Amino acid sequence: MIPDLTQEGKAETKEWKPDLTAPVVMFDRVSKSYGRINALSGVSIGISGGVTGILGLNGAGKSTMFKLMMGKLKASSGAVRLFGTDPWKNPAPYSRIGFVPEHEKLHDWMTAFDFIVTFGRLHGMTRDEASKEAARVLDFVSLTDVMHKKIGQFSKGMRQRVKIAHALVNDPELIILDEPLQGCDPLARTTIMNVIKELGRMGRTVLVSSHILHEIERITEQIVILHRGRVLALGNSHAIREMLDQHPHKILLECDKARNLAKSVMDINEVTGMSFVNENQLLIETRHLGAVHSRLPKVIVDGKHTVKGIDNPDDDLQSILVYLTGGFL
Amino acid sequence: MSSRMDSIWSKLDRKATAIAEFTIRQYRTRISTWAVMIAGILALSMLVLFYIDGLNTEFEAIDNDGDSIDHDSDGYPTGQEIIEGTDPFSAQSFPVGVTPDPASKWINEDDFDWDAIEANDMSQGYDDDGDCRTRTTSSQRDQNDNNIECDVYMDWNIYTQEHTIYSDGGVDEDPDENLYGQEAQHRAFVLGIGKFGIVYMLGIMLPLFLATGLIREEMSSGTMHYMLAKPIARGEVLLYRMIGYIGVTWPYIMSICLVLCLITGFAGPGESIFRWSDIGIWMSISLSAMLVSLVYGTIFCGFGILWKNGVILALLLGVWELGMAFVAIASGGDSPIKFFSVIGWGLTLVDSATMIFWPDNNTLIEVGLWGGGQSVTSWFSGEERFVSLPAAEALSTFSGSTSGLSLAPWASAVTASLVLIIQAAMSWFIGQIVFKSKEID
Amino acid sequence: MEEEPFEPVKEKPETYGAETPVTGQSQMSAAWSADEGETSASSAQVATLPTGQVFDQIYQPWRGTLNPRWMRNWAILRHHVLGIFKTGHRPWGIPTKLFIFFVIIASSTDVALALLFGLLGDSDLYSLWGVNRDNMYGHVMGFFPRNILYYPVVAALLVGGMISEDRAHGTSALYFSRPITRFDYAAMKFASIAIILFFIINGTLALYYFADILVMGKGWAWLIDTFPMFLATFACGILLAFTYTSIGLSLSSVSRGRFFPAIGLIAILMGTRTMAYIIDTLFDKSILYVISPYDAVAHVCQAIIGTEMTYDHPWLWSLASVVIINGLALYLLAGRVSSLEVTRE
Repeated sequence: MIPDLTQEGKAETKEWKPDLTAPVVMFDRVSKSYGRINALSGVSIGISGGVTGILGLNGAGKSTMFKLMMGKLKASSGAVRLFGTDPWKNPAPYSRIGFVPEHEKLHDWMTAFDFIVTFGRLHGMTRDEASKEAARVLDFVSLTDVMHKKIGQFSKGMRQRVKIAHALVNDPELIILDEPLQGCDPLARTTIMNVIKELGRMGRTVLVSSHILHEIERITEQIVILHRGRVLALGNSHAIREMLDQHPHKILLECDKARNLAKSVMDINEVTGMSFVNENQLLIETRHLGAVHSRLPKVIVDGKHTVKGIDNPDDDLQSILVYLTGGFL
Repeated sequence: MSSRMDSIWSKLDRKATAIAEFTIRQYRTRISTWAVMIAGILALSMLVLFYIDGLNTEFEAIDNDGDSIDHDSDGYPTGQEIIEGTDPFSAQSFPVGVTPDPASKWINEDDFDWDAIEANDMSQGYDDDGDCRTRTTSSQRDQNDNNIECDVYMDWNIYTQEHTIYSDGGVDEDPDENLYGQEAQHRAFVLGIGKFGIVYMLGIMLPLFLATGLIREEMSSGTMHYMLAKPIARGEVLLYRMIGYIGVTWPYIMSICLVLCLITGFAGPGESIFRWSDIGIWMSISLSAMLVSLVYGTIFCGFGILWKNGVILALLLGVWELGMAFVAIASGGDSPIKFFSVIGWGLTLVDSATMIFWPDNNTLIEVGLWGGGQSVTSWFSGEERFVSLPAAEALSTFSGSTSGLSLAPWASAVTASLVLIIQAAMSWFIGQIVFKSKEID
Repeated sequence: MEEEPFEPVKEKPETYGAETPVTGQSQMSAAWSADEGETSASSAQVATLPTGQVFDQIYQPWRGTLNPRWMRNWAILRHHVLGIFKTGHRPWGIPTKLFIFFVIIASSTDVALALLFGLLGDSDLYSLWGVNRDNMYGHVMGFFPRNILYYPVVAALLVGGMISEDRAHGTSALYFSRPITRFDYAAMKFASIAIILFFIINGTLALYYFADILVMGKGWAWLIDTFPMFLATFACGILLAFTYTSIGLSLSSVSRGRFFPAIGLIAILMGTRTMAYIIDTLFDKSILYVISPYDAVAHVCQAIIGTEMTYDHPWLWSLASVVIINGLALYLLAGRVSSLEVTRE
């Protein structure tokens, strides 16, 4: 109907079909540079199924990666594929994708329901179909009671949920969420996390970006760590920690009598150092985190110690990045 | 969902209505839309007030040939004495047994008797008051040497592209100023407000305010991300946004033209209760303004996509178009350079329609500028020029005497409309190419 | 000093010690007390507390000396005007700077032509371009191209984001969190635009006039003849810059984006003039020109400078119109700025 010469997937010639053998998301040696700044350099990953957390500090390249996927940016080199199709200048794969941008700005003058219906119709639904879908997704993110209110009156957490709902209206197979938890209060955070986990259980491929490790860990164990445009680590978060065992770790034990506990803990071979924070807290240093964690319960039970809490104080993204980059952040 | 739409080229109608409807609702929530539209209505209302004021002011009747004066004070005005064959300058010579006419009978007594549609190289006029027909010799009665006595001969000079009027003298020399003035003023107003007020001002201001940010504002605020993450090509987004834009501007333009057509049609001069022939003019003004606003809208929207400060490009184009509008109007439509603009084609459309619906318009202008043949010699340049009738200058300023296309009026109207549509399509095509290859942060 | 704005609280010298965690409270205190803050702030350290602690909230009044009001306003003014020339001040857009440069060059064409023909000794052409009453009027008030392409577009570019973008970016909140009144804020924004326009219009006018004097070696008689004329034109330039600024800035204060004020200014200037032109041509009535800001100023200037009047109505009406237009615009600006919400939109 419209002479769009470079467009792939014209209805008249051939319908766009997803390549079922290809991974849902594939980056093959993708680099993206803005002038002299490399936002992504040689990233190669393939993701299919489950919830994946994309972790990185600000400017690590998370948003660039998502924008490449959404065809907003053109890769300087390498290939980006969604369902086996290059998304640059070709919006065809988006019929199977839901995207939640990080921008806070929404169409404040619309009601949540209208917003989702309008954008649902861009998937080719009729008004009735879109209304039905909108009611479904708004129920999914538990916004049914406020769905006829203007988005401008919503709190930040509600707006995030509206954005997530709008991305789900086409029942997508791939859902991309750019910083969905940013700026939300704990309650909204929990709701959104449950929604994402639910999506993962439904067998969708979900990509979530964040710069806070423990948030991601509450949702999924499958993580990708980006730093300065490179993939630093990829895989199960616990497995990554195991691999980091060569680096010194700290475990903070909270107990009644730290000195008594220290005597028992000394028996664990892997412990390389100890210090007392105060008389109720003991800090253990080790190079084999997994081993210590596996032996610690037995030592505590045998020694009849009362331990109120075990905490890894440096177990956040920052310290992992410090280890991974050898201290050069 | 039972059937998944895997092709982005399916269900285009649904996507189009969704975006167009969205765009119209978005316009509705913006104060600037209302501010611009209300400002437009206020400005046009002010012009209409001046028009109504002009209608209520009667043009003063002038005795152009001076035959209402009784020079010899014998009670008979000069015109009556000429007809009766007595000496108007001698108090002893006067018609006997005839009641003297009041002086007012000899004012505006020789109005135009022009019926030709295309009055080129044709004989026109009738000497109502008889001051030509009563002349003694044939050569006195045929001063313009076209072998027809007591007529007015209109000649079209193909080199100067101007009409010249040769009169036998005393023919149609005392026209009704008010009758002519009201008609000419009405037409000048319709064309002036139509060409400048609606086609140019509305045609360029509405797009400047409403279309420049159509894509750009969404891009800079980040809300464009939602729309571009859907299975819909960017060229389509641009197209459907433009449909939403014309969904707001076109009804506005049409209703303004309708209201003005009704006001001026009922209030305007003329025998009938409504000036039916004006409807065609207003329709052409409305069509021209709609097409022009569409072309400008697409271009300005493209400027907005191209560059963050696209409004600067839009303003520069607006100034160029203003210059072209003045060129087109000053040249009476006959200027090739006007075709290098959008407004030039828009005005051509109105000029063609004027030739279709007011076929006597050019004649009316020439007659009004000739004004009965009275001439004055300028003390400044020594040039002799006719004293024109009221509003004739204004009508000649705002009317295009030709479409500049050397085609029949209907053909040039169709051509101008097609060119405008092609311009809109081209700007959309270029705009979507720019949009498609734009990296959006 | 005698009258404290808040009830003074008795000093608690040891509020933040080594055991206090960095909560922001100690930092804030340090930042707001100029006298002894530095030593106290450095003693705040990171430490872990076994239990929670509730801090006594102490308000420490600021005891520095506030610079006089004009000095603070001067800083704002300087910040805006210097941004045209150098970095480190208000970042004007590159297109704006380029266009201002272009306009300065383009509006100096009469200088160049006058000098050229003067030096060539072509007295006919020199009299066409040299300094005289009509040319000075034309330098400031000429419609094409100066008051359609140059000055209004510069005003539109300057005014575009002046207040609206400050609101959109949240920088107006930075101003209002300092000891600056809203009136001063608006006044300085106004002054900075007007001054830039003033430099463009009157700067090139002065260049035109003085270059002619110096290069052509004009005598005292000529100076006495033309200097009042020059002063009158100078005043006109100020009036023109003021009028454009007040309309533009009031539009900027009511809108959110940078598009609307820029387009709005041009639309008001061109739209009213076109309307008045239609009426003048149709009905031979020049009275509608009073609603056109450009024509109202031009009419007043014709009266002041003493060139031939191109309008039929009395020039005092135009003067009244200039006063009313500026008054309305400034009223709108003042009203909007005083009720401006300083949240980021």
